[in-house]
Amino acid sequence: MTPQQREAVWRLVDRLLPKEEAKRLKNMNFVDEGFGYDVFGFEKESFALAYLFLRFFYKYWFRVRGYGYENVPRKGKVLIVPNHSGTIPVDFIMIAIDLFLHVNPPRVARGIVDHFAGALPYIGLIIYRTGSVIGARKNFEVLLQRHGETVVVFPEGTRGIGKGWANRYKLTRFNVGFIEMALKYRTPIVPTAVIGAEEQAPQIAKLTTVGKLLGLPYLPITPTFPLFGVLGLIPLPSRYYIYYGTPLHYYKAYKPSAIKDPVLVRQLADEVQGIVQDMINKGLKRRKSVFF
Amino acid sequence: MAEKKKNQVRPKKKIRGVRASQVKNVLITGVTSTIGRMLAEQFYFDERVGKIIGVAIDPKPYYFEDYSPERFVYIRANILKYRELNNLFLSEVFKNSKINTVVHLAFVTSTRFTPEEAYNINVEGTRNLLLRCIETGTIKKFVFKSSMIVYKIRPHTPVLLDEEAELNLDPNADPWIKNRVDADMICRSMMDNPKMDIVVLRFSNIIGRNITSELNEFFDMKPCLVPMGYNPMVNLIHAKDVVNAIQLAVHKKVRGVFNIGGRETAPLRTFLYYNKNTPVPLPHPLLGPVYGFINKIGLTSYYYPVEKDLLRFTALPDWSKAQKVLGYRPYNRVRFG
Repeated sequence: MTPQQREAVWRLVDRLLPKEEAKRLKNMNFVDEGFGYDVFGFEKESFALAYLFLRFFYKYWFRVRGYGYENVPRKGKVLIVPNHSGTIPVDFIMIAIDLFLHVNPPRVARGIVDHFAGALPYIGLIIYRTGSVIGARKNFEVLLQRHGETVVVFPEGTRGIGKGWANRYKLTRFNVGFIEMALKYRTPIVPTAVIGAEEQAPQIAKLTTVGKLLGLPYLPITPTFPLFGVLGLIPLPSRYYIYYGTPLHYYKAYKPSAIKDPVLVRQLADEVQGIVQDMINKGLKRRKSVFF
Repeated sequence: MAEKKKNQVRPKKKIRGVRASQVKNVLITGVTSTIGRMLAEQFYFDERVGKIIGVAIDPKPYYFEDYSPERFVYIRANILKYRELNNLFLSEVFKNSKINTVVHLAFVTSTRFTPEEAYNINVEGTRNLLLRCIETGTIKKFVFKSSMIVYKIRPHTPVLLDEEAELNLDPNADPWIKNRVDADMICRSMMDNPKMDIVVLRFSNIIGRNITSELNEFFDMKPCLVPMGYNPMVNLIHAKDVVNAIQLAVHKKVRGVFNIGGRETAPLRTFLYYNKNTPVPLPHPLLGPVYGFINKIGLTSYYYPVEKDLLRFTALPDWSKAQKVLGYRPYNRVRFG
């Protein structure tokens, strides 16, 4: 953004947001390379602009309720490890806004996105400007080791959001990459459960070939999409519940060299999966209604 | 003659304490390039450098006339030609100068050369020079100026590329990229020899007056055609920092590959804004033919195929190794406008 555009964003923020939220946006910390961007291309003003738009969905559409904020470290590196669901990856956006609003000082959640997203014009740009990065190992090193950021990683990957209505709230097997990163960079893991995302866009089927032609892993079929065109992509207003679990400090028990032991890494990944599945089950029991 | 001697720039007196064995006598190839000229000047005033031999294919330029022949000698030679290279290494000037360091800057990027000619100069020239340097046994350091374009850039490439990142070995890559990769790999393949320390410095986009880096020429265009929907992060390095990095590589007892980045890191269009360029977005499949056409009719010397991926995807140099081992830090800011 140009300096004039940035000023316009902050004027908009002051006009449209409550004082507390505007203050939080202005106080966000990141490693500025000198022009108001970090090396990944994150820009505070782009985040603020996205927040102005997405705040409506967080507060009034999904009416997100979060629990266990005390489990998220106030500073330093941390891996947030949630389940991934909902056909359209809105769950990350809700977690990012939730952490921004409830953790002091406000932290930018750095989402790890799939490789294909980087190739998409505009979408790739929005991803980088608002704080997410492509899931390359070197990117983890920079985020965790050098910058000490809050990284949100979905170990289910795109399998999670594409698993279909029949398998809702049943986790697909976690990839092990996040355990390797946690051990290598001595980072605590916060297991996280997201309830409500599965119902936002129940997936009936998916068209893999058509999706690949568009540069996507698949094209989802939901009750509203493609029936109502682009409008059909608007998710249903299910209520979101986000639970942050007790941090897991595997790095205290195992040395970084433990990542060379594939059995151990697999075992730890399965252990985290079990914890997240338990949190989901408890959350589902506690939930009284999908929409209210 | 007396008048000429009077006008000559005198180098600083040597500081006591610099041992004769520590003094570097340097041969610079491609000395008439902007970086070569700046480097020659920097070494001329460096008390740790003794004799300097500047080699290039051009006639001796006026700006070297002021240098004292006791410190600086200009030799016109084409290092590509085996005979000329041999003559250079057997010459009295070379022997008397006790050259122990070679900085290889000669690398053509101009589109006035055909890909075959460029390959001969860039790759064969580098190989011949390198082998000749090892043969002498007296040359202890060889510094090669490479570039970040040797890396393979994909949408999922990490944002920061370290020295171990994947090289662009794509058989369909542009010949200019292949030349860079081949020359870089020749240097790497000879790095294990015990006689000579080989240092490869991979620089990010060098910006400065009369520098023939692709991005430098890109910024000279008004307006600039950019790929629609992309705005990657770009690192720019000031020519002075390039010279400083080479100087550090010459003086430090090191060998290996180092990425060298500059102080400025921002999205491409931010630099265009500060440079008062107007970006004109076009769908990226159209950029190749459009740039090819405007290049052919002479509206720009910018050669798009070399940087087509860099204009879409972020690939920044991770120069932490250079910082740790060479003690390198970029100090100079690029001036725009």
